[in-house]
Amino acid sequence: MAKKNKKRGVKTKKPALNPSRERYSLNPNFEYFNELRSLVLKSSAGEKERMIKKISSLGRVRLAVISGIFLSDPNAVSQYESPADLFVVGDDINRQKLRNFLSSIEAEIGTEIKFTLMDKEEFDYRFNMFDRFVRVLLEGPHEKIINKLGF
Amino acid sequence: MSKPVLDNLFGSKIRVKILKFLYRNYPADFSIREVSQRVQEKPSDTRRELEELRSMTIIRKAK
Repeated sequence: MAKKNKKRGVKTKKPALNPSRERYSLNPNFEYFNELRSLVLKSSAGEKERMIKKISSLGRVRLAVISGIFLSDPNAVSQYESPADLFVVGDDINRQKLRNFLSSIEAEIGTEIKFTLMDKEEFDYRFNMFDRFVRVLLEGPHEKIINKLGF
Repeated sequence: MSKPVLDNLFGSKIRVKILKFLYRNYPADFSIREVSQRVQEKPSDTRRELEELRSMTIIRKAK
């Protein structure tokens, strides 16, 4: 019946407020604003474990390095600009799985990440020619969460 | 492996994800739809958590 009314041009009641118009942000006056911030932005050991498991299942992963956002202290004023937040070296990587993994990681940590993937051959080549990206990443603050290359 | 502490402490995985997202992007404001896309959760669940956080004055509606 409602449909019929619409067709005849009878106006149906519109919601008073369009919910998509409402915008939310953190309230800086919240009593525990800073405490809560430290708490939710701290990366936990469990998180890392889950990440290692997921990365390992993407294919033949030889090396996974975290840096940047994964290592930065949420309370630090200036953040270290690393060339990648996550760097993976591996072969036969399942692209679909990788896409899903990256979007779930981004949803999990609340921001976009800088991600780089190389196959073993490319990595070896770049490593041996002192490629700038590889050098800056591996000389700066980083952590190898998977390392089957033995260095 | 132990349970994710924060998800359990706060009683909701979605709530923790929303807080992380908002802190990472502070002081920007977002619509329900934007938040739900970024945290990859249903808009209805996202809205419920946002309202819950608002009732605790942790977040507010932007003017």
